[in-house]
Amino acid sequence: MGAKEAARRRWAALGWAYGLLLAFGVFFVAPFVMGFLASLKTDPLEWPFRLAFSQVSPKNWAAAWRLGQAGSGDPWLGGMRPGRQVALEVVYFVPRGVEPTLLAEIPRRKPGAGMGAVFETPYASDHVTLEGPIPLERRPAHQEEGEIIRYRLVLRYQGEGPFLERVPLDLEAPRGMVLVEATLDPTRFERRGRVASWDNVTPGLLGYVFHNYVRAFRETRSLETGESLFLRWTLNSFFIAFLKVLTTLVFASMAGYALARLRFPGRQALFLFMLFTMMVPGQVTFISNYLVLRDGIFGLSKLFGVETLLNTYTGLILSGLVGASAVFIMKQFFESIPREVEEAALIDGATPLQTLFRIVLPMSTPALGALAILTFQGTWNEFFWPFIVLTSPREIYTLPIGLLSFRNAYGQVGDWGLILAGGFFSMIPILILFAVFQRYFVEGVNVGAVKE
Amino acid sequence: MRIKARTLEALYALLLLLPFLFSLGVFFLYAFLRAVYFSFTDYNLFSPPRWVGLANYWALFQEPSFLLALKHTLLYSLVVTSLQTFFALILAIALNRPLRGITFFRTVYYLPSVISTAAASLLLLWLFQRTGLVNQALSLLFSHLPHLAGFALLFLGLQGALVLWERRRGRRTPFLDPGLAAVSLLGAFLGTSAFQAWGLLQAREVRVDIPWLPTRASFLGLPYPLWAIVLMNTYTTIPTFMVLFLAGLKGIPRTLYEAAALDGATPWIMFSRITVPLLRPVLFLVITLGLIGTLQLFDQVLFVGGSGGAPLESTITLAYYVYGNVFPSGATPRVGLASAAALVLAGLTLVIVLLQRRFGVGERGWS
Repeated sequence: MGAKEAARRRWAALGWAYGLLLAFGVFFVAPFVMGFLASLKTDPLEWPFRLAFSQVSPKNWAAAWRLGQAGSGDPWLGGMRPGRQVALEVVYFVPRGVEPTLLAEIPRRKPGAGMGAVFETPYASDHVTLEGPIPLERRPAHQEEGEIIRYRLVLRYQGEGPFLERVPLDLEAPRGMVLVEATLDPTRFERRGRVASWDNVTPGLLGYVFHNYVRAFRETRSLETGESLFLRWTLNSFFIAFLKVLTTLVFASMAGYALARLRFPGRQALFLFMLFTMMVPGQVTFISNYLVLRDGIFGLSKLFGVETLLNTYTGLILSGLVGASAVFIMKQFFESIPREVEEAALIDGATPLQTLFRIVLPMSTPALGALAILTFQGTWNEFFWPFIVLTSPREIYTLPIGLLSFRNAYGQVGDWGLILAGGFFSMIPILILFAVFQRYFVEGVNVGAVKE
Repeated sequence: MRIKARTLEALYALLLLLPFLFSLGVFFLYAFLRAVYFSFTDYNLFSPPRWVGLANYWALFQEPSFLLALKHTLLYSLVVTSLQTFFALILAIALNRPLRGITFFRTVYYLPSVISTAAASLLLLWLFQRTGLVNQALSLLFSHLPHLAGFALLFLGLQGALVLWERRRGRRTPFLDPGLAAVSLLGAFLGTSAFQAWGLLQAREVRVDIPWLPTRASFLGLPYPLWAIVLMNTYTTIPTFMVLFLAGLKGIPRTLYEAAALDGATPWIMFSRITVPLLRPVLFLVITLGLIGTLQLFDQVLFVGGSGGAPLESTITLAYYVYGNVFPSGATPRVGLASAAALVLAGLTLVIVLLQRRFGVGERGWS
């Protein structure tokens, strides 16, 4: 085999490797991309799955922006305020012999099912008047087979009244008339395509493209206070993850330092025991832990006037102050620091506490950073234990538990747009974190390798 | 009075370890011992526990839902672990080249594993709906079977012809020569497109309509909903484990392969005599991690079940069995039984870890 031949083969092999990598990447990322696209759709379960739908068309983005601007002055989230008016144009094809009678109506439609259905929301039809459809232009089409008619609809909100989050619209045409074009594509067609229906004609850009996401925030509201549950869950998740990161960083480095550097009786036994705890599934310990929290940690919490620690963040945080795997990471890291650094401090008479906080920890930012990120990810994604501890009211849920109640509330009615939107929204913080600190995650395998 | 230096050091250690010891003592040791104690008692969370000896363990193995959960858990664990290990290994070997930009791909592949099980479960539910993407993809695949068959035949034919031609010219070309394969691939693609254009190959009308979730039907001992979870979990874990294998493969010296090649070893011999033995530590690590992770399947079961989802008998696992007996809806909790089941689960896990320690690796023997 000549040198040229060998080079040719090497290049071909390289090409195959990259081709494979790429194909593999596409294969593994595709469901996530498709799921995300579906979360934008009105019907995420449509068959066949189309990649071109109205939420991804720039024409609709521009229209949604303009209509939102006209309706409320907010081009992002839209809505309608008193004193505003919005104009919409639609173009229909009318075959010869069909009387062009287009009926327009602002329906009295409840915004959403499930958790959102309970609330009194003002109906747009009580406040907004509809003018039209006014035929603007008629021209023949398809070699005189019919004609194209352009209509204009004007929605006016006169007088005083509440802010309307959305203004729905239905257009009913006789059989045979076909909607060719509209300022903003309708949300769906009903009754075999005769009724074109808009959930909101003043959506704003976000309200149109990410309407399921906006719905997730608007429709999942607390029965008592009416505030957005979904927003609360997100904030709860952030709050708990923040606290957990804090306690873990402090206590794991303390324990890790003691295990790495200080001599005390039972050190080896403690280390082995720690490894053992990492292997026992959570299902073994949760029963007792549940009871311990229920009784306020052997009744100690009653000293502070707290009957039980169930359904409290105190309970959740106390039961997870510091995990064995976090201690393990810090111990391994501290052992990798040369001893000479600390010996100088020891000779100067520093206590172990001073050595740890003044000398070792400032050197440990890489390990602390990695630990913080892994802990955040773990806490953000944790399901089982919060699910046991936080049961009522719904306001105290974390995002993953909230997603379960989402799934239960909307799974039956098949509102997949909302469910998927919730799921993808919950991924955003982790994805951002991953994009920025991916090195720590991928190396986290090292740590997890020993952890589980 | 002066405290001895060693005592002082131990006191400091105690001080530093205090929060950790509190966590470990109250929320692990005490909890673990109590679980063992509960497993020998009849207890319903409210009235005090009553000692019953081994009755719970005896009852467990009489109870159909526990046996079902045990069977599901073991089968699921076995299937997922073997699938993910096998595919991750194959792909890692295929990709084991000093490639530029491999870190980028590694990052992309790693992505699915940072996502919460809750979010992934929602995606799973959507994918496996009746008109979901999985059924759609299967329909697409089956309706294009003629194309795939045509493509495969063309590829093999072309490749065979090219290799024979090369060999006739006196070159020792292996059948899977990458350069020729690229040519054949292109040729097969063009050929298939041409046949399609001439109308020789036509897509058939197929609509796969498998009810993945709301069903009790099972396939090879595992119910459909669990298969859905198997597919999804394998799918998300393959890349992660592939990254582990790639790291392991990097540690195998290339000279070994070169020496083997000089001795005239075939690729299969190289794989079975060099790659697998030297990769054993990683292999065991991956298998252990896989088994431990899959044994504790819980979140997905909760998400896939429920209103409009899979019936419980189709998805129940050990972890769910434990939970379901502590917090049953509208019945008295059976904590004793649940604890016994949890200890069975822990026993399974520990056996696997011990086996791994026995045959496998020390901590990071692989990196």
